[in-house]
Amino acid sequence: MAAVMEAGGPVTSVKLEGLAALKIIKHCQESLPTMVTGSLLGLMIEDGVLEITHAFPFPEPLDDKGDIVKTAEETANVDDEAAALDGHEFQLEMMKMLREVNVDNNCVGWYQSMYLGSYSTSSLLENQLSYQTDLSPNAVVILYDPMQTAHGNLVLKCYRLTDEVVQLKLTGKNNFINPRKIFQEVPVTLSNPGLVRSLLRDMGDGLHGSCGAELTGADTTFDRLDLSTNPYLEKHLEFLCSWVDDLAAEQYKFQHYTRNLRSSAGGDTRKGRKAKDEMAQAIEEGWARADAPKRMESLLMSNQIRTYCDQVEKFTGGGFGKLFLTSGLHKDDDKKAS
Amino acid sequence: MATLATTYGSSPALLLNTATITSTDGESANVSKVIVHPIVLLSVLDHHTRRQEGAGRVIGTLLGKRDGETVEITNCFAVPHAERGDEVAIGKDFNRQMLALHLRANKRETIVGWYATALPDEQANGAADKFKFIADTSSLIHEFYASECEDDPIHLVVDTSLVADAIELRAYKSASVAVKGEVLANIFHEIRLAVKSSESERICVDKMIRGADSPEGASFSQEEGEALKLSMEKLLTMIETCSAYVDGVVSGSITPDEQVGRDIFESLNSIPRIRPEVFDKMFNDSLQDLLMVTYLTNITKTQLTIAEKLNATLGK
Repeated sequence: MAAVMEAGGPVTSVKLEGLAALKIIKHCQESLPTMVTGSLLGLMIEDGVLEITHAFPFPEPLDDKGDIVKTAEETANVDDEAAALDGHEFQLEMMKMLREVNVDNNCVGWYQSMYLGSYSTSSLLENQLSYQTDLSPNAVVILYDPMQTAHGNLVLKCYRLTDEVVQLKLTGKNNFINPRKIFQEVPVTLSNPGLVRSLLRDMGDGLHGSCGAELTGADTTFDRLDLSTNPYLEKHLEFLCSWVDDLAAEQYKFQHYTRNLRSSAGGDTRKGRKAKDEMAQAIEEGWARADAPKRMESLLMSNQIRTYCDQVEKFTGGGFGKLFLTSGLHKDDDKKAS
Repeated sequence: MATLATTYGSSPALLLNTATITSTDGESANVSKVIVHPIVLLSVLDHHTRRQEGAGRVIGTLLGKRDGETVEITNCFAVPHAERGDEVAIGKDFNRQMLALHLRANKRETIVGWYATALPDEQANGAADKFKFIADTSSLIHEFYASECEDDPIHLVVDTSLVADAIELRAYKSASVAVKGEVLANIFHEIRLAVKSSESERICVDKMIRGADSPEGASFSQEEGEALKLSMEKLLTMIETCSAYVDGVVSGSITPDEQVGRDIFESLNSIPRIRPEVFDKMFNDSLQDLLMVTYLTNITKTQLTIAEKLNATLGK
């Protein structure tokens, strides 16, 4: 990965260009139901603002490098060598080509699609950690949720790891860290250069409307007024149930391990104070051992459960509003009718 | 308005602005409609903004799929090129490599044509003619793409000159003009163009349109209540407009338009009539569901906080 020149200061907000956002959305939406990843290109400008100007998808991993299925159309026009690239080389090749057309050549992070807000997994943590250590401490991950982007809401979030957790991971200790302090959300704004804004104004005015009788324009104001709440809530409850089960299993592992430690460290507490200290120390060492159950798993899980709860709360807040509005309107109608 | 000029070595380009000329070349399926996704337009504008110093216009490849009479353009990438006078050089290898890279990520897209921005014309007299949509070199480029693409390539032109105070988009297809078997020129017919997007793209574009006025751009932290208020206000203004129209027609000040009247009638009829008891039941059910879920999430969060506190002390 290309080295990023530091402009000083940690990143405090992210400016995402419309083009990059649309590319991310297009890629994630097309690849449903699989979750996909890709790379972000951009520039770090002063005041801690990270500007993301471009994005491109990572290819699906080839099963066997020598086994590329060629169709009739592809053989004619496609460069076979380029088609055989995978992962890292793909990224380098893509960035080289984009350089030729003057696109910002800096890799500043990566993006991933997430399923209904599930981001707090150890794979994401590891990936982001490698980006933040190898590439730049200001690398970010953009998460797009194709499930929740409906009814006029665009769910696109940006996270990075806090310094605390990076330190913890690098030292390899098994300590406790407040789950809320693992990921730090970075606020995102969608910005666009001048030409694009004029195009958007034209589109908003319906200038480039359709040539049929379909719905024109990009107005999503009325999508928000949809009253169906059940599917969303059901999905969330399902997820909550499974994650809470997982968390319970993790906690059980801890209990089990502690019990084992206690029984192996000092079964005989009658020896007095000294033995107790020895026991305490043995227990501490036991936790620091490599085969101790990892705390991070359960911390990540509790973070995720908390995220689900927050999402549901936000949703039910809006749902209450809509419900009472509708009932108010309906009662008015009733009174007028009778 | 037709411009005809001979170019060095190959067929010149003819631009005819009327859409009434039908193509007599019946071998390929006649394309009559082109659908463009907003991402393509944004990408073209971005490429144009980043062009090399002194380059008049930029070109690139369009990817998408062809569906009988409709061509849907869903993606594109830039291709470096250089043109001077009547000669043009296109990065062929670049094109093939980029195509391969793109196909890795999305196998369903194929080359359907090419795009270009408007070309500034130094020889023009008036300001209105300063930018040409089709240049003589366009037919050369078009021929190159005809060899890359399966069917006839589509040519998309984005006018970035802002002469007409708007960004114009035109789509063209070409047919060759032959006299006694000898190909003389290429005619570019204009085809109907529409900008459409998928559901999620629509949401994103809508967000961008809203944020287009502020220098900061659209932020994601808009309150749920705010957004709901906006929607309700908009609905209210629309209903008021309809009601004012109907009042006008009834009082005789506005001439009635049957189609509008029928549309209003249909939309009013689409409101379902629900009996009060049924509505109350629905309302109470939904309310109970929401309340229960809120309660559950609150308990879960409290539980989590307790667990964290315990875990924290365990660690020490």
